[in-house]
Amino acid sequence: MRRIGTRTLLAVTLILLAAGILLLSEGGILQPVEDLILRPISSIQGWVAVRFSAIRDLINSPTDLAELRARNAELELEVAQLQQEIIGLQEQVAEAQILSSLLNYARSQPENRYMAANIIGKDTSPFIRSVWMDRGSDAGIQQGMPIVTERGLVGRVEEVFANGSRIQLITDPEIIVNVRLQNSRADGALAPQLSGEIWVDLIDQDVNIGPGELVLTSGLGGGYPSDIPVGEVISVRKRDYELFQQVVIQPSVDLDNLEIVLIITNFQPLPFETNP
Amino acid sequence: MAYIISLPLLALLTILQSAVFNDLKLLDGRTDLILLFVVAWGIHGRSREAMIWGLAGGLFLDLLSGLPLGITSMILVLIAYLVSFTEGRFWEANFLMPMGVMMGASIVFHILSLSILFLLGKSIEMDYALVRIMLPSTFINLILALPATQLIKLLINSIYPPEVKI
Repeated sequence: MRRIGTRTLLAVTLILLAAGILLLSEGGILQPVEDLILRPISSIQGWVAVRFSAIRDLINSPTDLAELRARNAELELEVAQLQQEIIGLQEQVAEAQILSSLLNYARSQPENRYMAANIIGKDTSPFIRSVWMDRGSDAGIQQGMPIVTERGLVGRVEEVFANGSRIQLITDPEIIVNVRLQNSRADGALAPQLSGEIWVDLIDQDVNIGPGELVLTSGLGGGYPSDIPVGEVISVRKRDYELFQQVVIQPSVDLDNLEIVLIITNFQPLPFETNP
Repeated sequence: MAYIISLPLLALLTILQSAVFNDLKLLDGRTDLILLFVVAWGIHGRSREAMIWGLAGGLFLDLLSGLPLGITSMILVLIAYLVSFTEGRFWEANFLMPMGVMMGASIVFHILSLSILFLLGKSIEMDYALVRIMLPSTFINLILALPATQLIKLLINSIYPPEVKI
């Protein structure tokens, strides 16, 4: 009985301690402590992410793997060394290809200044759609900065720590992005669903929209620069009794396989309000 | 000794959760490494430590999440507390016991996480959360329950070697 009593007391104490931490954290008092703890964690996370990415790439390239297996049968020792070399080179080639396309994109948008960052992890909660990158306030990153790749919009910087930041993806239901349909010139607002599907809502009923139409940021509201590709219309949802029509879009960027992103550093976003 | 080993291990598990295991998905469900660690530790009768690991592990998870710091800690401490009630029951020795406890813990973990997100005003689609996240995650946790409890048993035995009568 006494054992249960002390156990309950400990549980209550720890829950109250967690609640205290929650209150202090929400007040911003724990930010320096969070920075201090996240600094080594982000470094290790980056190291682990690079190694995991290399292993995943190796597993996902069956021809290379078969070739390596054949060589392994002939010259075990040599291939062991070659294998390591190949993994490193494949990573370098993949990285160079990504950086090259990002550089081309940056050159085509001379009005923006960019900083590249590696994606080092995903949100630990399956209910929140965000990822972590290896650039933080030490590199001059600020909350609200837009994140893109050469294909289009990824999201915005949501939380900044010393050497890492959390990016809110455009699939997060809480994000606010004002968009424009390229051909019909209709304005709308991104309405991501928790299922990962992205809708564009608040589109005027009179506008004719067809599948394949490109969706770009409109720049309205001052949250993002204009004309960044967001996605392509795949279906239209129009009901006569509703005020607005919606379209379902396919995002331009493959948000499940992000490796390197660009932060637009010279864009000053206006303060955001979260979705109700 | 337990603190010297477990706290860095919890940090490492959180990093692996974020950088590796979040990519290994069944539908949208993933394994919850910290939950497995805390529950497995509690199953072996060290409930007080399990609650402390719940607090620390939850803080690590929240640091790498968009959730407010402390939320997951509260949930994990509560789960470790509930797991402690399995101590000394007649079915404690049954080899399927860890699976049953892990299934219950996983369901409670996700229901509480969803409830807190709902209270924080986040958009939640219950059908999606249940079918694509909660059930697959519970299934993965269930599969990993036995290996996790065996690994934690080895770890506990190495930290606290069983006493031998001479």
